[in-house]
Amino acid sequence: MLLHIGAFQLDINSQGNTPWHGLAPRTRVLCALLFVFATALTPNERWGTWLIYAVGLMGLIILSRAALSVLLKRVAVESSFIGVVLLGTLFRGGGTVLWHWGWLQITSEGLAVLGSVTVKALLCLLMMNLLVLTTSIPALLNALAELRMPSLLVAILASMYRYIGVLMEEFATMRRAAASRNLLSSSRGKRLVVGNMIGSLFIRTYERGERVHHAMLSRGYTGLPPTIECPQGRSQDRWAIATLVMLLLIGQVVYFL
Amino acid sequence: MHHNPIFIRQLSYAYPDGHEALRDIHLSIAATEKVAIVGANGSGKSTFLLHLNGILLPQTGEVIIGELPIVPQNLKAVRNFVGIVFQNPDDQIFMPTVWEDITFGLMNQGLNKHDLSHRAHHAMYAVGLEPELYASRIAGNLSGGEKKRVAIAGVLAMQPQVLVLDEPSAQLDPRSRRQLINLLASLPLTQLIATHDLDLALELCSRTIVLSHGQIVYDGETAAVMNDSTFLEKHALEMPLSHCKPYCLVVDRPSDRPHPATLGEIRSRG
Repeated sequence: MLLHIGAFQLDINSQGNTPWHGLAPRTRVLCALLFVFATALTPNERWGTWLIYAVGLMGLIILSRAALSVLLKRVAVESSFIGVVLLGTLFRGGGTVLWHWGWLQITSEGLAVLGSVTVKALLCLLMMNLLVLTTSIPALLNALAELRMPSLLVAILASMYRYIGVLMEEFATMRRAAASRNLLSSSRGKRLVVGNMIGSLFIRTYERGERVHHAMLSRGYTGLPPTIECPQGRSQDRWAIATLVMLLLIGQVVYFL
Repeated sequence: MHHNPIFIRQLSYAYPDGHEALRDIHLSIAATEKVAIVGANGSGKSTFLLHLNGILLPQTGEVIIGELPIVPQNLKAVRNFVGIVFQNPDDQIFMPTVWEDITFGLMNQGLNKHDLSHRAHHAMYAVGLEPELYASRIAGNLSGGEKKRVAIAGVLAMQPQVLVLDEPSAQLDPRSRRQLINLLASLPLTQLIATHDLDLALELCSRTIVLSHGQIVYDGETAAVMNDSTFLEKHALEMPLSHCKPYCLVVDRPSDRPHPATLGEIRSRG
């Protein structure tokens, strides 16, 4: 459960001094998005393309000096969620049947789709986690605003980031309070109490939302978050995007040669 | 600066459930005056403060800020005129970093980049936060005293003419509280301070308004009301510690109490 993670810091490698950190956050977000789209839109079974992308991504991970153990740990946790979806693709029909038991069957096509989707998901997860690991969250939010993401959406993300720590703290306080009054050790009682805590957390969140809105109004908020100025792109940003686009194109072209 | 920045006439407010939070409030506050608003929990202090920059609109009566009555079309000007520092800094600081939060109000005012940075720096220095150290700090990771200062800086940066504070010294350690008192004493603004901390009120404010069940029951000199313990007790308040005479010395003991027996006397009685 997310609320059990002790220290809440996503961007542990954001203070680096590498060429990747030298890029504007906006460029990094753009590169990550291009990479994810190119990977996800590649048709199934193009292993060569993904090999090239994976080599490029490895290069980037080494270049950015991101903490590899943290990166892999996060990808592993997220993969467990994706695993449930992936399992469904294994048992689809089509192609030659390799194994069957009752109505369950594994076919050659099922295996190919499973392999392709797994590789795609893994590459995308690695890229996104690298981005989050190496870019501070406020910079990331600014970058999204600069890339013309609707400002209300960015504001919602920003307050989610601001208040998740407060909520976790509040939940921890409630749990401590329950424990200090001898929270029942039976698991049913515990579930009941935790359920009530989550309920009261919802109500507190709502009330806090109202107070925050008052504070925003009293500093001149009119319903639209203030927009930020967008600085000019520098030459290294242009080079980074050009290099990435070249890599993506090479990956696609190998299948037409 | 306007010479009479706040004028309120016959203000009443009832919540949707019928609870009457304010009844027939009438007052006027002069420029650069520092006024304490005291009262028990639920006496209507917070509801009153929310009327001062139009978060709540008056149901009956009127509130005039500067020369502007509080009506929907004046809200923008009124909110630039009156800055409110809310009780819980976690409600007030809603942007991810300190810098973004302090510049939030300025961006809403539509300032250009240069003025914005200048004003934000000025406000940060005023509350004793080094911009180089604090600008990029994540708001959630600050201590209570630092959060309070960031909250005040965010409001000061908007250069209001009236500063309204709700329970400014709540949850502060003695040193942060002392720094806050020194800071507020040094600001030449009109200030309204709602507080339970009567020592703070006595130190900062020459005038005090006591609210009880939504009504003004006292409006006058701070020192006079702080000496009247029966009046304060009647309205669920207590004399400030600095007005209670300590009787650590035997000669200062109240005369109606028996002389404490010495250890030797007790032993000889036994």
